[in-house]
Amino acid sequence: MAKVTIDGQEMEFAEGTRLFDACAEARGEALPHFCYHPDLSVAGVCRLCQVEVEGMPKLTIACNTFVRDGMVVHTRNEKVRKAARQILEMHLVNHPVDCPICDQAGECGLQNQYMTYGLYESEVEQADKVNKAKAEVIGPHVILDKERCVLCSRCVRFCEEVTKTGEMGIFNRGDRAEIGVAPGTELANEYSLNTVDICPVGALTSRDFRFQKRVWMLKSTPGVCPGCATGCNVRIDHEAGRIFRLKPRRNDEVNGPWMCDRGRMVYKDVHDEDRLTTPLLRGEAVAWADVEEDLARLLAFGSVGLAVGSARATLEENFLLKRLAERLGAGEMSGGLRDADRGVGDDILQDADRAPNRRGLEILDLAEHDAVTLAGRIGNASGTILLLGGDPAAAPEVAAALQGKDVVFVGTHAGATAALAQVVLPGAAWAETAGVFVNRQGRLQDFPQAIARPDRARETWRILVERLAAAGEDTPPASLRTVRLLLTEAHGLPDLNSLPAVGSVPAAGGAD
Amino acid sequence: MTPNDYTMLSARFGRSDGHKLAVYEAEGGYRALRKVLQDGMSREEVREEVKGAGLRGRGGAGFPTGVKWGFVPPDADEIYFFVNADESEPGTFKDRYLLDYDPHQTIEGTIISCFAVKAKLAFIYIRGEFGWLVDRVQKAVDEAYAAGYLGKDILGSGYDLEMIVHKGAGAYICGEETGLINSVTGRKGQPSIKPPFPAVQGFLDKPTIVNNVESVASVPFIINEGAAAYKAFGTEKSCGTKLFSVSGPVKRPGVYEIPLGLPFREFFNDWLGGMAEGEKLKAVIVGGSSVPVLPAEEIMNTNLDYESLGEAGTMLGSGGMIVIPESCDMVELIQVLMHFYFDESCGQCTPCREGTGWLHRIVKRLRGGGGTPEDLDLLEHVCDGMAGLTICPLADAAVMPMRSFLDKFRPEFEALIQETAAAAPTSRWPRGEQE
Ligand SMILES: Cc1cc2nc3c(=O)[nH]c(=O)nc-3n(C[C@H](O)[C@H](O)[C@H](O)COP(=O)(O)O)c2cc1C
Ligand code: SF4
Ligand code: SF4
Ligand code: SF4
Ligand code: FES
Repeated sequence: MAKVTIDGQEMEFAEGTRLFDACAEARGEALPHFCYHPDLSVAGVCRLCQVEVEGMPKLTIACNTFVRDGMVVHTRNEKVRKAARQILEMHLVNHPVDCPICDQAGECGLQNQYMTYGLYESEVEQADKVNKAKAEVIGPHVILDKERCVLCSRCVRFCEEVTKTGEMGIFNRGDRAEIGVAPGTELANEYSLNTVDICPVGALTSRDFRFQKRVWMLKSTPGVCPGCATGCNVRIDHEAGRIFRLKPRRNDEVNGPWMCDRGRMVYKDVHDEDRLTTPLLRGEAVAWADVEEDLARLLAFGSVGLAVGSARATLEENFLLKRLAERLGAGEMSGGLRDADRGVGDDILQDADRAPNRRGLEILDLAEHDAVTLAGRIGNASGTILLLGGDPAAAPEVAAALQGKDVVFVGTHAGATAALAQVVLPGAAWAETAGVFVNRQGRLQDFPQAIARPDRARETWRILVERLAAAGEDTPPASLRTVRLLLTEAHGLPDLNSLPAVGSVPAAGGAD
Repeated sequence: MTPNDYTMLSARFGRSDGHKLAVYEAEGGYRALRKVLQDGMSREEVREEVKGAGLRGRGGAGFPTGVKWGFVPPDADEIYFFVNADESEPGTFKDRYLLDYDPHQTIEGTIISCFAVKAKLAFIYIRGEFGWLVDRVQKAVDEAYAAGYLGKDILGSGYDLEMIVHKGAGAYICGEETGLINSVTGRKGQPSIKPPFPAVQGFLDKPTIVNNVESVASVPFIINEGAAAYKAFGTEKSCGTKLFSVSGPVKRPGVYEIPLGLPFREFFNDWLGGMAEGEKLKAVIVGGSSVPVLPAEEIMNTNLDYESLGEAGTMLGSGGMIVIPESCDMVELIQVLMHFYFDESCGQCTPCREGTGWLHRIVKRLRGGGGTPEDLDLLEHVCDGMAGLTICPLADAAVMPMRSFLDKFRPEFEALIQETAAAAPTSRWPRGEQE
């Protein structure tokens, strides 16, 4: 341990702690900074994080310094504040200050520092600034405004160190230095939007989000990306029932501070034209009350031949489906299609398994089947086929087997399955419900509901609970909380109602 | 004392055959290398001898060479050595003399230095504009290989060393040691943040020593004659002799080897012959363009060594001495210098990137007739925001001349600002249009 005095406050830090982090802890807020990023190498170029270390002849940048026992550090004295002010002023010399039309406004490092250091009467001259290119499309997702760039090199280091694709570079030198992509390339790696997140100013912006919304109007809800088995933690930014963007939320056990571009776009599915927004009775849009009669018949005790879950549904939804099937005396269960939702993974984050909850099926002992086997089981089943989530009939074998069967589908999107079903019940998309996904590590990750459901769609777990009640369960769980209690109990899981922020991986063979 | 008394480094300067191996050997060349490798001096003995001689780096910073060598971690087994011949500091042209007239002296010194730090590969990094020097040094390296001074099992000692002559691409910042290493590695030629220092983690992330040409060229003498003989020259803390490259309207400009501590007055009057006909001494930039300028009356009472120059408020630097005549317009001169740093800043550190550009533009505006008295305060203000706040000392290298010009020659700036209301001066140096 090293005893360090920061702004008069003596604190202990582990050997090897970065002074930058020690200062953040002592001050309760980070030092001003643009270039330092805990997940990238240290560049030490913005020079904003300078502090005074007693005994050193000059100010020192905290991001490239480690604590030493006995260190006495000043982060707020006049000398340090003056240096920070001066450097900030340097940053503004050639900055266009076009905040009114900049997407970053409101979450801009430069704006924030500017306010903190009150540079209202700075000596910055406006007359002969260096002009650079604005609004240049540099890849499928990202747009670049070179004038706004503060040359912190974060995006360059990201592309060198994380994706190892090296598209970005700082070209030319002195105050002609400018950020850009290497000639003949574009910023087209599958993680490119992370550069937008780490860009401290509005130089790199998302083409998807561009001019959509002022950031201060957005509400944020934590979530878990449903794009693949990795289960990156995300922040869902939304307003009035619409999602505007997903941003990664740090979880060092899962995704660090990053997420992939494909995952960022999964929100579009939620607002898809194909969303099921109302119950369908033999293809006709109807009210919930209008399906009751058919459901009573199709889901009567002993009338269900096979219930099929989904790796896209939450742990609670699959659990309730299983419970319902058991209550209805259904002969057979399946976890769904083993081969659905497969893609190509990489060694950064993306998993080849594009479903968010396949390991959740394992917990419930719901085995998946390939299309031919599933079709066979459907063919052999006598009675209603109850399908939850996804679009199993997208597989031709399954679609063929479902022909002529009584089918009830609880789902979110129109497709082959919904087209075949006698009764379609519109459920909640991932952002419209609370739930738990189990990622590829076996990590249980819970998430709250972010936005309201469209039109007549309902929370899927409620739909299933209602069927449980209809099937005669005495005290069906009245809340998701109770569902989780039942689940926890039935499968020896950690308490799903109070999972730690990083999620929880149960020890093999039982609760941890 | 006269110029010809000191020939530790400059014995073959000005001769047409001094670059040849046969000539160098005939005059005692490669004797030091034999002494080290054949008479069985240990690495420690070589390092101690150089440390004991008090040799300080001649690239500008003046860091003790033997001490720097000691920073290489003792258990390292892959070590690199770079001879810094990037020599791009305005006013400095001594290393090219060493390599042009006497390349073998530097090569011999490099081999001994490499042995001392256990390096297996050495680079001689030559400034891009010195095309002819690359050929000359390459030929000398080829000769040294042929003679068994380089390659495998040098002089039967079991020590192997390869040497590569590398041509830079013409950037001042690649003379900074980490910029130099980055550029050889194929990265953008710009300094890296320290720590880690190159002696611990440099080329290919391995321990790397970077020394100036003149530093290594001083090594053969120290080995041959011993630390005591070296220390016989100079002062207590500024040991040995040092090359000064003198430019400006003096009677005899050129490269001189002087014992450190020589009074400037004596050097100026007796060695340089004073000012050229019709010129009067106004000021001197004594150690390359990056050090503070001293007006005539101040430099005249100063000795040429690290400590005296430090006390006088300037630095010995690289020994690139620029003599400024009374007829020189100091504002014009600082414009030239500020354009240089503006042009050469690598641009990664905010204070240097923006500051060098800002200084350059303000000075240009002054010279263009658009200056105001407030501009002088603004210049000071910009300097404040640059000094000591960057990765490498290039920002300070711009600030030191700027501040000292303002400090020592402020009336010239003020006069210009007053005059410009009437008529804009015409520049003899119309480079402002070029960026
Ligand atoms: C901007 C800049 C340019 C430099 N250029 C040179 C150069 O051309 N030659 C040189 O030997 N050192 C140069 N240096 C100093 C080197 O970084 C380094 O200190 C030196 O090569 C070490 O050698 P020495 O210890 O033998 O002096 C430069 C430093 C800076 C900051
Ligand atoms: S574009 Fe953004 S992240 Fe990249 S160097 Fe510029 S300011 Fe930094
Ligand atoms: S890697 Fe997977 S979980 Fe992470 S953002 Fe991409 S799709 Fe979503
Ligand atoms: S001080 Fe200037 S030249 Fe040196 S690293 Fe920083 S920006 Fe580059
Ligand atoms: S955050 Fe430390 S120099 Fe940029």
